[in-house]
Amino acid sequence: MKHVVEKIGSLVRARDGALTQELVQHPGSFGLGKVPARLAPDDIVTMVCGFCSTGCGLNVHMKDGHAINLSADSSYPVNLGMACPKGWEALTPLSAPDRGTTPLLRNERGEFEPIDWERALILFCERFKEIKAKHGPESCAFLGTGQIVTEEMALLGALWKFGMGFLHCDSNTRQCMATSHVAYKQSFGFDAPPFTYADFEESDVLVFVGSNLCIAHPIMWQRVMRNKHRPEIIVVDPRKTETAMAATQHYAIQPKSDLVLLYGLANMLIASGWIKRDYLKAHTTGFEEFAEFVTRFTPDVVSAATRISVDDLWRFAQTIADGKRVSFWWTMGVNQSHESTRTAQAIINLALMTGNLGRPGTGANSVTGQCNAMGSRLFANITSLLGGHRFDDDAHRAKIAGILKIDEAVIPRQSSDAYDQIVQGIAEGKIKGLWIIATNSSHSWINQNDFNELTKKLDFLVVQDMYHSTETAQRADLVLPAAGWGEKEGTFINSERRYGLVKKVSRAPGQALSDFNILKLIAQYWGCGDMFRAWSSPEAVFQLMKDCSRGQPCDITGITDYRMLDECGGVQWPFAECEADLPSAGAGGNGKSHDPQASALGGQQVHPTSERRLFEDGRFFHADGKAKFFFEAPRPVAEPVDAEFPFVLLTGRGTSSQWHTQTRTGKSDVLRQLYPANIYLEINPVDAERLGIAEQSKVRIASRRAEIVATAFVTHTVQPGQVFLPMHYAIANQLTYPEFDPYSRQPSYKSCAVAVTPLGG
Amino acid sequence: MTALLEPEERTLIDELLAEQQRLTAVERFAQKHERHALPAQARYYQDLIPLSKPQPGEQYAFGVDLDACTGCKACVSACHSLNGLDEDEIWRNVGLIHGGTAAAPYQQTVTTACHHCVEPACLEGCPVRAYEKDAETGIVRHLDDQCIGCQYCVLKCPYDVPKYSPKKGIVRKCDMCYSRLTADEAPACVQACPNGAITIRIVTKAELTARLAPGDQLLPGAFDSNYTKPTTAYATRRPPPANASAGNARTLRLEHAHWPLIWMLVLTQLAVGLFLVAAFASEQLPLAATAFAALNLGLAVSVLHLGRPLGAWRAFLGLRTSWMSREIFAFSAFAGCGGAFTFTTMWPRLAEAIPALHRVEAFVQPAQFTPLLAVLTTLLGLLGVFCSVMIYVDTRRAFWESSFTNTRFFGTTLLLGAAGSAAVLGWWQVITGAPAGAAAGLCAAMATVFGAALGGWEATNLRAALRSSDDPNHRSALTIWKLCRPLLLARFVLLAGAVLCGLAALASTGWPAAAWATGSFALSFPGQIIERFFFFTAVVAPRMPGGVTA
Repeated sequence: MKHVVEKIGSLVRARDGALTQELVQHPGSFGLGKVPARLAPDDIVTMVCGFCSTGCGLNVHMKDGHAINLSADSSYPVNLGMACPKGWEALTPLSAPDRGTTPLLRNERGEFEPIDWERALILFCERFKEIKAKHGPESCAFLGTGQIVTEEMALLGALWKFGMGFLHCDSNTRQCMATSHVAYKQSFGFDAPPFTYADFEESDVLVFVGSNLCIAHPIMWQRVMRNKHRPEIIVVDPRKTETAMAATQHYAIQPKSDLVLLYGLANMLIASGWIKRDYLKAHTTGFEEFAEFVTRFTPDVVSAATRISVDDLWRFAQTIADGKRVSFWWTMGVNQSHESTRTAQAIINLALMTGNLGRPGTGANSVTGQCNAMGSRLFANITSLLGGHRFDDDAHRAKIAGILKIDEAVIPRQSSDAYDQIVQGIAEGKIKGLWIIATNSSHSWINQNDFNELTKKLDFLVVQDMYHSTETAQRADLVLPAAGWGEKEGTFINSERRYGLVKKVSRAPGQALSDFNILKLIAQYWGCGDMFRAWSSPEAVFQLMKDCSRGQPCDITGITDYRMLDECGGVQWPFAECEADLPSAGAGGNGKSHDPQASALGGQQVHPTSERRLFEDGRFFHADGKAKFFFEAPRPVAEPVDAEFPFVLLTGRGTSSQWHTQTRTGKSDVLRQLYPANIYLEINPVDAERLGIAEQSKVRIASRRAEIVATAFVTHTVQPGQVFLPMHYAIANQLTYPEFDPYSRQPSYKSCAVAVTPLGG
Repeated sequence: MTALLEPEERTLIDELLAEQQRLTAVERFAQKHERHALPAQARYYQDLIPLSKPQPGEQYAFGVDLDACTGCKACVSACHSLNGLDEDEIWRNVGLIHGGTAAAPYQQTVTTACHHCVEPACLEGCPVRAYEKDAETGIVRHLDDQCIGCQYCVLKCPYDVPKYSPKKGIVRKCDMCYSRLTADEAPACVQACPNGAITIRIVTKAELTARLAPGDQLLPGAFDSNYTKPTTAYATRRPPPANASAGNARTLRLEHAHWPLIWMLVLTQLAVGLFLVAAFASEQLPLAATAFAALNLGLAVSVLHLGRPLGAWRAFLGLRTSWMSREIFAFSAFAGCGGAFTFTTMWPRLAEAIPALHRVEAFVQPAQFTPLLAVLTTLLGLLGVFCSVMIYVDTRRAFWESSFTNTRFFGTTLLLGAAGSAAVLGWWQVITGAPAGAAAGLCAAMATVFGAALGGWEATNLRAALRSSDDPNHRSALTIWKLCRPLLLARFVLLAGAVLCGLAALASTGWPAAAWATGSFALSFPGQIIERFFFFTAVVAPRMPGGVTA
């Protein structure tokens, strides 16, 4: 009877059933807490995220050997159980319908037709060989990426230069981190970002220059929020960004007045005696010349250039002086500039003169962009020979040749042309064949229309990508379908120099192959397969990388293997064999000595899991062990505003849920709901009213290069006279002006002159 | 000849393609994860959820520290992934409020999900009691298997919380991770916020209600909290400036049209109008029959609106609080009564056609019930329309405010009832040769007057709302004006045409009069469909502040 009543009750009010069951949660085991029952994993593996350089650890939920879900890893030392929306959605783009599943060849009708790998590889090699035979080894180039694993970068760079005998190549790290690379190399003697993320928590003053950390690196911002010292947070940014809102001091300088500001601060600090003379004397060179140089940047001069009041400038300087542990952080606002290297070095100079280096909570710290920009900087074999060596150094070439067991003669002596020089080479007819790997130049390259026009001049354009739909792939003669993050193994190096592991948790669609496998095949079909016999797997390459790093500042000979990286939650470089204190892994030092100068840790025994910063002993990587002051007179931007184009166009990240050209983040239904579907222009209410631009109305934005239409978002967060466009929408880079920093050759994306007019409607 | 005996050689391509498909992550790296480990994330969230359970009179509530919400939106993704939601389904969202001055610009991102209100409007509106406010925790839970997919909760909630899935045919919503909280685990969003901005608090319901002042809102741009008494608290040391508004405050968007409802409303109102005229007319049969047909068509179409129509019989459960239940009941009774009324008007002709039926008259005279049924039908019909009105009025949306909705719905009833009756009676007279009464002409005259009056009323309102940005319907008017101008034009052309046809009908007799009257109806009916399209699409659906739209 009771049963019948219950039955009738549940018929009238159904508390359970198939729909309810869909969301029922079960204890997730593996320390996950509750998870949806239908997505309960039978195993867990941890790997680093493949979007930005934070390098978060993600727990991939596995069922029958395959990834079905993921969550942030609570014990990974980087992200402490957190991830940004891109990380949470990292698996989704793998199953997008526009994944490349077979090589595609453009036929006579201009359409793509699927071909098999055999044909694709034969064609690839024939065409590049033809061009090389006809126009020489400098007639082809590749444009690589900071998005593939280090082992693939190393193989790509080695194959291209040593195996295929070409010279020119670059990667999209030119667009994000080239400046930091050059700035550190010149100032410290090696490309060595000195910090560890714990420094975010240890500072009592944090200075962010050109960094919207809150949305560009939310998981680093998490570490700022964990800071228990009630820190002063200073943000230097023309816009009132999310980070500027969260700051205790915001200096909304005029665009590209940062170098003047930084020199002015240096002048004020020196003039007030707020500097560490002892440190300067013991650990730096060139300070006196620098001090003399900056005297011309008086508070009045700086105030006029930055439009920050003299009082505020003093407050800024005073805050730095009062700080016991001041850390300086910069990102693309600095790196993407016409004088970016000197600007980055102006920040480094401030840290050096105030003694804010090598101690907890200090540092001149470049926050990296892409997940493996750091890997690219060390191992892409582009500007530096594998492992941060020099192409023009005989000893370095001999060392690498010995490790790789190749003829030293195949290692070129000169460095490659930079991205912009390669593009210029196409324009001049010098570059005839181009191979683009995992980057979307047709969207992201500055003054995009020019680039896209130039691709028509190429004899052969190959695009190797996860998606056949990217703007660049659509222009290719041959598309090679690549496996992506999560479909292959290898390592990324994050912002704080931490090697993290990427694992194979998902099957690549169709005939897509990892870049590593594609490169192996190309080596075979090119006829240089024997040279890469030892490069049998990503982990084998990792062992070669270790050998290459030996004795270098980035020595990682103490890392036994992938298993050790996995056990430790990643390991920061340097981690040399002699430093290794490995009670568990049992790979203790073998007593081999190495150049003490190469170790930033002063040779003490360290545990691989400890968070480590560089320069604690004040020894830098220049031959004299000292850091160098670099400086240069600021110069105006190449395209200042004028009557015809009266607005400065700023570009940058739109939201935390968008990544670069959106080839992946555009594939997630969740992420797509977290950013505007179409391009929008942020414009100040004063300008909007003057021009008759209503909120949400369409505006035309014109530069000397192109004209685009966007929706107006009227907001005080941009200053009058400035407008902001998010970079993720394909048309934004039609407007940008191709100016480059002379040292890093990084494009200046954040300054060009535009006119804005209402379209009505 | 040995080559023939050798197995076919595998090429490097074959080898690497095979290698690419071999997944090795588990066998190589799963060792470090213990199967039976306790929730590892607890160390970060244990301070963010209460130690104790709510006492009687208390409930759980979200707390948001706006100073710590910096727009990363991890909460949205984590909620999606940890709850196993559909590909495009999100239960949490992050919006933006901004404003300030050039000297002091202001922007603030805002994370928002279900507010687990003290008086949940979703729950009150649900016709089948698919919502319950958990007695112990106060969490507003949705019973997915009970839901019939009527989506009325979507209209009722002023925070746009319940999300309808056409694929599943039901709505789903945030349940504050009920099963996690009951196991002392934090909800997904709380676990995932890198800055610990989201917490779970215990609040006293009576205190929360007592503290509410008129006009209180959770955030600038949010709905009046007095309606549902939301429990979420947003805290900040940087109060938003007076001019702060939502990132999408000026965004015009067409809301869901709900086509089955458009047709259902217009057809049922036509039916009520026809029955109304029938109650007074001397020729009741053609009007009642047409009305009954329109009514059934309308009710049949309305079923298409439901995601799971088979559960609709449970609609009696909501009678106590839901106007949707009441409407369903009123119209069911109306249909029954209207059917009986129609049947009795047909009786004499039926009995004539089938003489055997006369035997029934020995026991009962069906025709004698006609007057009573006419009155009952009309009353039930009007009650049904009133319930329809109240469904929308009860959402407290400005564009659906009582006098507007009453005018629209009863106006439609009168207009279509009169225009339809004029046509039906006109043709009835032509076909049957019944004596030409004044009824058809009177109906045509009324249709003309109602058409002109409705058109004039609407045009006046639209003009006023367009001109004044303070008008509560300014955005609705802009939506119609900017996004649907051709349809707006069509609406007025149709109405004008209907009025002209009505006048022509008045000036004619015989079949031309019937034809003009039919024309008048044929123009006013689609005119009302367009009016109802605007009704649904141009309404401003209240939401929590949203982000930039483009």
